[in-house]
Amino acid sequence: MAAELEGSKCLSGLLSGLAQDTFYGHPGITEELLRSQLYPEVSLEEFRPFLAKMKGILKSIASADMDFNQLEAFLTAQTKKQGGITSEQAAVISKFWKSHKTKIRESLMNQSCWDRGLRSLSWRVDGKSQSRHSAQIHTPVAIMELEIGKSGQICSPVVFKQLGI
Amino acid sequence: MEESSEQQLDAKSKVTSQLIDFEWKLGMAVSSDSCRSLKYPYVAVMLKVADHSGQVKNKSFEMTIPQFQNFYRQFKEIAAIIETV
Repeated sequence: MAAELEGSKCLSGLLSGLAQDTFYGHPGITEELLRSQLYPEVSLEEFRPFLAKMKGILKSIASADMDFNQLEAFLTAQTKKQGGITSEQAAVISKFWKSHKTKIRESLMNQSCWDRGLRSLSWRVDGKSQSRHSAQIHTPVAIMELEIGKSGQICSPVVFKQLGI
Repeated sequence: MEESSEQQLDAKSKVTSQLIDFEWKLGMAVSSDSCRSLKYPYVAVMLKVADHSGQVKNKSFEMTIPQFQNFYRQFKEIAAIIETV
């Protein structure tokens, strides 16, 4: 394996790039981009399995939502495996997970929300209402507008009134 | 969208739809294909809104717990104001 891959210098950057792609859904983080930015001396053929290994480790940690004990045990096992990681690399991965755990978990929760979300809520209270057709007069009314939709989509507002709450 | 929101809540505009029911469910997503240990609590809401002709439409959406807490706070605020009107 190329010496650069055994080091841990650029691993933190690599993990950030992997998180952007895998969890935060940022487009354009290709393996070629990561290789050329972080490991320019390494060939794509050598880089590819290394990237896959790191991606697999990060996904396992995130999927199990590992606490720090589980993380230490998992990474120690990875250092003892054939073709695993070095202790230095384990330390970098551990540090990365500790600082990014909350944000990655939030992304995973968002990804699992398939129904529409409440994008915004506005409201107004009218003091008295009168209507030729409605019997409900002189009653305070709350009028609410909810924007319901999935992120990235245009939502149509839902507007309704509610007498008393 | 901003402009139409303001028009909707304009004092002169008519709001004829009425909320007739508010159904809710507190759920816990335990696991998913992308995260085996998800442990994600959420509140799912189904609003039943009747238009002026009486036709009822269902509107459903989901909230995280912090989002729901904000939602609940807004309703409490509305209730407090309605008491004073």
